[in-house]
Amino acid sequence: MPKLIKNGEIINNNYNWLQDAEQAATPDSIVAAQKWLSEKESIGKVAGIWLEAGDGVEFLQDVDLSQFDVIGVNFPAFTDGRGFSYARLLRERLNYQGEIRALGNFIPDQLGYLLRVGFNSFQFNEEVDLEKALDLHKPFSIAYQGDVSDPRPLFLRR
Amino acid sequence: MYQYDAIDQQLVEERVAQFRDQTRRYLNQELSEQEFLPLRLQNGLYVQRYAPMLRIAIPYGMLSSTQLRKLADISCRYDRSYGHFSTRQNLQLNWPKIEDVPDILAELAEVQMHATQTSGNCIRNTTTDQYAGVISDEVVDPRPYCELIRQWSTFHPEFAFLPRKFKIAVNATESADRAAVQVHDIGLQIRKNDAGEIGFKVMVGGGLGRTPMVGVTISEFIPRVDLLTYLDAIIRVYNQQGRRDNKYKARIKILVKALGIEEFRSRVEAEWQHLRGKESTVPMSEFERLQGFFSEPNYETLENNPASLTNKLADSAGFARWFERNTFEHKKAGYRIVTLTLKKAGQAPGDATAEQMQRAADLADQFSFSELRVSHEQNLVLADVRQDQLVELWEAAKEAGFATPTLGLLTDMICCPGGDFCALANAKSIPIAAQIQETFNDLDYLYDLGNIDLNISGCMNACGHHHVGNIGILGVDKKGEEFYQISIGGASGHDASIGKILGPSFAQEEISSVIQKLMNVYVENRSEEERFIDTYRRVGITPFKEAAYAKAN
Repeated sequence: MPKLIKNGEIINNNYNWLQDAEQAATPDSIVAAQKWLSEKESIGKVAGIWLEAGDGVEFLQDVDLSQFDVIGVNFPAFTDGRGFSYARLLRERLNYQGEIRALGNFIPDQLGYLLRVGFNSFQFNEEVDLEKALDLHKPFSIAYQGDVSDPRPLFLRR
Repeated sequence: MYQYDAIDQQLVEERVAQFRDQTRRYLNQELSEQEFLPLRLQNGLYVQRYAPMLRIAIPYGMLSSTQLRKLADISCRYDRSYGHFSTRQNLQLNWPKIEDVPDILAELAEVQMHATQTSGNCIRNTTTDQYAGVISDEVVDPRPYCELIRQWSTFHPEFAFLPRKFKIAVNATESADRAAVQVHDIGLQIRKNDAGEIGFKVMVGGGLGRTPMVGVTISEFIPRVDLLTYLDAIIRVYNQQGRRDNKYKARIKILVKALGIEEFRSRVEAEWQHLRGKESTVPMSEFERLQGFFSEPNYETLENNPASLTNKLADSAGFARWFERNTFEHKKAGYRIVTLTLKKAGQAPGDATAEQMQRAADLADQFSFSELRVSHEQNLVLADVRQDQLVELWEAAKEAGFATPTLGLLTDMICCPGGDFCALANAKSIPIAAQIQETFNDLDYLYDLGNIDLNISGCMNACGHHHVGNIGILGVDKKGEEFYQISIGGASGHDASIGKILGPSFAQEEISSVIQKLMNVYVENRSEEERFIDTYRRVGITPFKEAAYAKAN
């Protein structure tokens, strides 16, 4: 079973990221959020949903997100930073407490920023040495800005 | 100026360690070229035409003499003993080795410097007026606000991978805008409201590049306590909604234009309602802390116009000329602001040799409380010079090649490094600057022409700000040959405007004669006291166009 990083540990991946919209969902699936919203009755119980870059999070504001164990955010390219705002809004605006998983083409060198905006699990597309990736998860011991783990900017802590 | 505490220092040191590891992995081929690219750019490292280029941040242009000496020293040991001051008030080294860059960054960290976010699709070095804090007509000193923005933007976790680069500039005077805030992604004009509270007029969507635009006002007044939440709101909207399919349409100006300012404003306001008043609201204690770093130096109580100055002004035309052009009124009696120009004929605009950097640091120690500023017109500024020491400084500046008395004149050009260095350039720009400097070498004539901004870019990316030059020169590629398009009527101050293209482009050797023709039209048409830009605005482009393309008879 493929591995991933979650909460700072390397663990087995128990979910199935459904990228193919035609594929039938099962209770361990992470389903495209737009698809889930329009077909939720027929889809039934799933592990979670995933956001495509461009989706935004606004269309989820009336959805009870606590029903999901996981919300994935896809990075079509690691230079596409929309997902950084999505994760932060999921945490801070929609108050989602479950797992937020980075999916797709992000790279280990982004882990520090990804963690700060609310991601807590990382499923890499490419072959990545997860042990080495873990070493990169905290490049800085302190930050100027507030973030998801501590909303206070440094000027409130200095 | 701002002094790092243990936390700021720790952050730059951790950045050095991070980049050292990234460079090591890149050189060991553990990190691909494609992955290393944005990581190195966010550390100011480009790979250029012949060699890498490292852009070192000089936050809002402030430098101590110690820092400048360090830059000189680094340029000697890791480069070819010179550097290039850029229009974002930064310093570029043109010949470092990639494997040396971590060591260079470590040395910079020793003097509280870095290269963080000087490139890449992130929030860049914030710029401001090079006369900040020493002129009488500013609302408040903008530098504490620049430092606040610097800290907020440094390693901002949400905005490190924006659609495109993002530039912020701050201006605090009503009478002038030396920071060109209207051609920035966000321009901040500091003002006070009727209740006397300090805040910002916020402009958005200005910028140069392929589609030059003047920024539009998104808010007439954002109280200073709300500055960071408002900036977060603007950039969060841009990060999610800005175009990412085409790099030439990815700047915020394209989004603002596409939505219209009303719609863009309402999206920002909607976002801001969630952020306003939250933790990122800046407490007064933080403003006070930051202002404390920019308190006045120990000025002496002096009189204006001491005899040593007035005598020399009467005796020496050369000194009088330099005084008139290259010095500026200071808020304190008996002091003057002095610009050390980096526009000597034979030297690329903005370039300084290591020796000149050392010399400038010495002059700062001797005459100006050991501090300097870099201007966006690519000169150095000594902000606090006693008027009774101006003669002595002038003599020293002449010797070091800093006293070309042409500040603001036709030959005080802004010029990018161009095709001699830059991999993006379509054409060389430095030889054009050299040609203009050689042709227009008669000071009396230059003085008669008066204030003219001439800006040169080697390509569309517009690093030389050609769109907002009263005269703009843009290098273009025509079937593999270098040609130059000339535009006129641009301006970068409070009356910012984008220049209009004269017509078909010119060959390199024609440039000076075309400029000469434009000057002739100006001189023939001007009324008294009218600057080039005023005449252009009154008479329009036609007479200039006719003269530029008239067939020789």
